[in-house]
Amino acid sequence: MRRYLSLYGVFFVQRLKILMEYRVNFLIGATSTSFLQIGGVLAMWVVMRQIPSLNGWSFDEVLLVFGLVTISESITHMFADNLWTLGWQYIRSGEFDRFLVRPIDPLFHLLADRFCHDGIGNLLVGTALVVKAMSALHIPFTVATALYLVIAVLTGGAIFIALNLLTASSAFWLVDSIPVTFLVYNTYEFAKYPLTIYGRGIRIALTWLIPYGFASFYPASYLLGRNVGALAWMGPLVAVLFMSLAYRAWKFGLAHYTSTGS
Amino acid sequence: MIHAVRREARVFFAFAAMVPKLYLAYNAWVVVEFVVQILFMLVFVAFWRAVYANTTTLGGLDVGQTINYILLAQIVAPLVQSRLVSEFGGMIREGRIAIELLRPVDFQARYAVESLTSLVVFAVQKLPLVLIAGAFLGLRLPSDPAAWGAFALSLVLGSMVLFLTDWMFACLAFYSTETWGLGVVKIAVATFFGGALVPLQMMPAWLRSIALALPFSQGVAVPISFLAGVTPVSDLGALLIRQLLWLVGLGIASRLVFRQAVRKITVQGG
Repeated sequence: MRRYLSLYGVFFVQRLKILMEYRVNFLIGATSTSFLQIGGVLAMWVVMRQIPSLNGWSFDEVLLVFGLVTISESITHMFADNLWTLGWQYIRSGEFDRFLVRPIDPLFHLLADRFCHDGIGNLLVGTALVVKAMSALHIPFTVATALYLVIAVLTGGAIFIALNLLTASSAFWLVDSIPVTFLVYNTYEFAKYPLTIYGRGIRIALTWLIPYGFASFYPASYLLGRNVGALAWMGPLVAVLFMSLAYRAWKFGLAHYTSTGS
Repeated sequence: MIHAVRREARVFFAFAAMVPKLYLAYNAWVVVEFVVQILFMLVFVAFWRAVYANTTTLGGLDVGQTINYILLAQIVAPLVQSRLVSEFGGMIREGRIAIELLRPVDFQARYAVESLTSLVVFAVQKLPLVLIAGAFLGLRLPSDPAAWGAFALSLVLGSMVLFLTDWMFACLAFYSTETWGLGVVKIAVATFFGGALVPLQMMPAWLRSIALALPFSQGVAVPISFLAGVTPVSDLGALLIRQLLWLVGLGIASRLVFRQAVRKITVQGG
């Protein structure tokens, strides 16, 4: 574990050197994604300043949901973006074979290979939204809430990574796995709003099938003192479950990997 | 003279004929984008229904008009999501741009033809989405053929406005080696100010005036408002004149900008 941590440091420093070679590019990439989120928030503001609440949720409460899911997304975006490119950049080119002959775990190698700065924008916007929402709603910032927030965000990040890993593993058969990942990943759009605005079917799907609800709605509900029962605490469990499922899919795919030849 | 015109037409027809093939080459993508658009529609319908639980009109629109508008916006939104800047970036990086510029065909005209043909392919491709939205999501389309005509006409002109805007923005690729992020920024700005997320009518005055000063709404809000029952067909004349003015202005500006930018060219490899 310690070895892997220090190895990650080495990879990270190398990657940073590459990124710093082109500073303006780094800045454009790092801030670009925040524009998408700002557009979404602006749209929400435009609508919600004209109505008292969205299904009983005030503007700031919705922002908390939106902010939490945005931070969770930024974690995958920064640390696991190579899951998107596994198919076309590593498997198709045959470069993935390089990972298999090295004395470290190939999944670790894949993830450590490229820290993606494009996620930084989302991290900043998400954090700003959560801070804004919490101060506007007078949620006291105690050690307990801080701890809960950190766990919630890590849980959300893990769920994003698990789902992307699960779908990216299809690259071992399909080579181009991006459409599959794209499909599942985009369902997180649902989790930008309080799940109560959807029907039962969608709510259940977002809780148990594609559990993005644990990345935003359930922790936000808990922080706002809304009763969601045990679901406020089940996030980490669900994340571990999905992570192990995804890792198994990855292992299974790896065992069936035949390389692309030439 | 006639010979030259016929030759020109043949060349552009060949470019146009390539477009559907390009779309058909990526089957999986067509299906996936289709499903993702339906998912987004579900989100937006749920959101707007919740919004209208507390009010009867918003920005002068009732719930039916808004749902119509938002669903159509969702279907048309991919039009503002083109990223010519990334395409230019790729061509410059690989050095292909040199060959493209040497071809005895007008560079911009060729892309304009491709963009127009894409619109036709796009329309055919999105038809199932319209039908599904009509059957399950509460999209109510007008039976008046005049509304459809106004929609089609302003969509064609509007898509050309979007193309020319994209073209000008893409010239940034001559100055910056980073084009992925630039493309994302352009999509974000175009999606919001095109009126794809919220109808312009609901925006506060200062935001709406920014949206109207930018060209993006010409390709999104303007055409779909005819179909959504937001804009009456009687407004068609005035809106078309405005679109034509945009076209002329951007047509001239985009050529000037390109001529200036292309001098900056730095081919990195190839």
